[in-house]
Amino acid sequence: MLKYIARRIGIMLLMIVLISTMIFFLFRAIPGDPTAYVVDPSMPQEARELMLERYGLNDSKWKQYTIFIKDLMKLDFGDSFFYGRPVGQIIAERVPATLILMLSAMAVAYLIGVFGGAWMAWRRGTRMESVGITFALIFRSAPTFWVGLMAILVFATKFRWFPPQGMRTAGYTGETFKEVFLTLDFLKHLILPTIVSGLYFIATPLLTMRNSMLEVLSEDYIEMAHAKGLRENTILYRHAARNALLPVVTAGALFIGSAIGGQVLLEVVFSWPGLGREIVQAVTRHDYPLAQGAFIIISAIMMFMNLVADILYGILDPRISYE
Amino acid sequence: MRRKIFISIMLVLVLALTACGSKDTAGGQDDDEMGELVPSITILSSLPEDNMVNYEMVKEVVEELKKIGVDAKAEPTDFAVLIDIIYGDDSDYDAYTIGWSGRVERLDPDMFIHSINHSANADAGGNNTEKYRNPEFDAIADAQRQEMDMDKRQELVFEAQKILAEDVPRITLYSRANVQAYNKEKFKTVENIPGEGLFNEWTPMIIEPTTDDKILRVASDVNLDTLNPMKAKSVYEWKNFRLIYDKLVRLDPSIEPKPWAATGWEIVDDTTIDVTLREGMKFHDGKPVTVEDVKYTFDAFIENNVEYFMSFLEPIDNVEILDDNTVRFNLKNPYAPFITTTLTQIPILPKHIWEEIEDPLNYENSQPIGSGPFVFENFRPGEELVAKANKDYFEEVKIDGYIYRIFGAPEGILTALEVGDIDLASEDLIPAHIEQIKANEDDKYSHLELTEVNDIGFFYLGMNGDRQPFNNKDFRIATAHLVDYDLALDVHLNGYGARGGGGLVINDANEFWHNPEVPIYDTYDPDRAKEILEEAGFTWDSDGRLRMPKE
Repeated sequence: MLKYIARRIGIMLLMIVLISTMIFFLFRAIPGDPTAYVVDPSMPQEARELMLERYGLNDSKWKQYTIFIKDLMKLDFGDSFFYGRPVGQIIAERVPATLILMLSAMAVAYLIGVFGGAWMAWRRGTRMESVGITFALIFRSAPTFWVGLMAILVFATKFRWFPPQGMRTAGYTGETFKEVFLTLDFLKHLILPTIVSGLYFIATPLLTMRNSMLEVLSEDYIEMAHAKGLRENTILYRHAARNALLPVVTAGALFIGSAIGGQVLLEVVFSWPGLGREIVQAVTRHDYPLAQGAFIIISAIMMFMNLVADILYGILDPRISYE
Repeated sequence: MRRKIFISIMLVLVLALTACGSKDTAGGQDDDEMGELVPSITILSSLPEDNMVNYEMVKEVVEELKKIGVDAKAEPTDFAVLIDIIYGDDSDYDAYTIGWSGRVERLDPDMFIHSINHSANADAGGNNTEKYRNPEFDAIADAQRQEMDMDKRQELVFEAQKILAEDVPRITLYSRANVQAYNKEKFKTVENIPGEGLFNEWTPMIIEPTTDDKILRVASDVNLDTLNPMKAKSVYEWKNFRLIYDKLVRLDPSIEPKPWAATGWEIVDDTTIDVTLREGMKFHDGKPVTVEDVKYTFDAFIENNVEYFMSFLEPIDNVEILDDNTVRFNLKNPYAPFITTTLTQIPILPKHIWEEIEDPLNYENSQPIGSGPFVFENFRPGEELVAKANKDYFEEVKIDGYIYRIFGAPEGILTALEVGDIDLASEDLIPAHIEQIKANEDDKYSHLELTEVNDIGFFYLGMNGDRQPFNNKDFRIATAHLVDYDLALDVHLNGYGARGGGGLVINDANEFWHNPEVPIYDTYDPDRAKEILEEAGFTWDSDGRLRMPKE
């Protein structure tokens, strides 16, 4: 098992270097002048030259690349062109807001999705099942920004149950994580985006669980359980659902991997100060170090969560081993 | 070689047509006796998501050009790519659309007269991307820059505008209006200044709360990148810095320079300016503001090559301390905008803090200490900047402080305005939102007041004067007749803005410097365009294609 994990991690590191290389050259292949958004065109020509020099963009691509890889080995992603601060610091600042929103949404989606999916498989062919599937698919296909805007319109401006924008009321105080995130005010701001984003995610766990359950329910041991006269809920949740969980776990692990990138459209609609908006802005503004750093971190976490999913498989399903 | 083949093919074609009995060569003149064909034109426009008006206007102009027999096409281009092309070494473009935003420092005419039209800036990388070269104009543009007498300078600036209107190096398509809103049930007395909008440096000073809630909540949809004044590269950071820091001079709402941290200045001669510092001012940490701080600041900005202010600092030779409250600026050459653009922009930094910093340019400055009317409290990236009123300030501030809230999109700002989470929008409202507020369905927006002022910035069609056909002045004037200025304003901008015109750079929102006699060519009249071309010797061949005047 340990040998397996060590091998996987080795491959992962190799992949990260490969991906970083790709990202590095892809960004430099984007047409357009990286100083266009930094230096106002009305500034004198020397200002643009100075800026290019400062960013090291006058060096050859190869030299830029070697510096980039060397720094990467030290986990240093460089300084953002715009913020002038280390990329790691900027990402660290934005990650909590994104993760809290995404994990809350995930909790909502997976709780409802796993139990709902199991239940739907059990009631296969009933009207409730088709209502459930339609419901999940509608929110999956509807543009999230639209659902978000409608939610704001109805619940924030019409009924005024929730605040429409932002993460906290203007002018709040508080320095520590606890003071900033563990407050009623924050919770109030969190609910609406969580629901909207949870509704969007719900289709994956719900339908995966349902399909996987349908397979499990046709197994002999379920018939056996019925024959033994066990209660329906016991069969459903203890015997069937546990075995049907595997694909949902993979989907969930990968979801956490991608969660760090956030949901850009929702962040824009709710003015949520997360990482997603930051990444999109970094790309459009040609802020290479920040965009590179964000993508490398996202891909690293994705790969890591993939590994976690594989290991979890072994634990959840004793038939699978990695010897 | 290619052209020869082309002409011979044309010749064969014409002969064939004549042989067929259809004798309709224009004006009885044979095609080979005419001038060269007008080369095909590519206009680099904006992507529709970046600027719908430019995108649509270029499509219109292209249609008009085709109608008069010119092969033209529109090529919507990403902003960064466009900048790369028009400032690139190859200067490889025929025409393009872009805009100059109306910033407060551009109220001084130097930028729009000198920087973008002087032939010294016409080489690759310079701001004269129209490659406009006119020695007579250059002389006037130089003279206005050096004329320290305002009235004389105004005359020169008027003259320069007239030449531009006659030569049409670029065609201004339209200007936008700064339409912004605030909550009139909680606050009164605001100023909306051209090039600045509502959240200018005066509104926070004069705005009066009418309820017990004395904190002004300002909305923006642009994040702030840094708190270091030497590093800030956008106007959004400056909108906050100038309230936390002081500047020697401010431009008052009627755009006249007004002594601020200085009590006055004396122009000793064309290159020597003495500025007297206001007495009794204090930084937010309690230390007094001295002439040492002023000298240190200017020296530091010059030494560190702060890009944002480079062109305004460039004329300074050195800064001297004359006595306890007088600073002398020695200029390399007379520079008329010195007081209105240089002194109104550089913030006074506390020397005792900054001289300790090893690399000021990369200093984080997480707790800015200035001497301005507002004291910095905290900044949360992507969320808000909070500042409270400086109670010891030499001018009374009527609010207790302000919060600069950062939103993700204009829709969010409108919603927050509606529910009362914010009191004032610092960015221009988009036309759809203006209409929405005006319609005021269900009285949702009754508490909002819309204010409107025309922008001094403008969007234009730039033409490469080094290339045919735009090197021909008559062709440029004719093109100015192909632009439907009313369509741009009335249809695309819903009337929120101002009309353009050939060579218009300083519009009437900038009252003092705008020459009321310009623009000269500002009517959409394709027939007149054809007449102008005909008078200038352009001809149309048998296929209806426009040809350059014969050499």
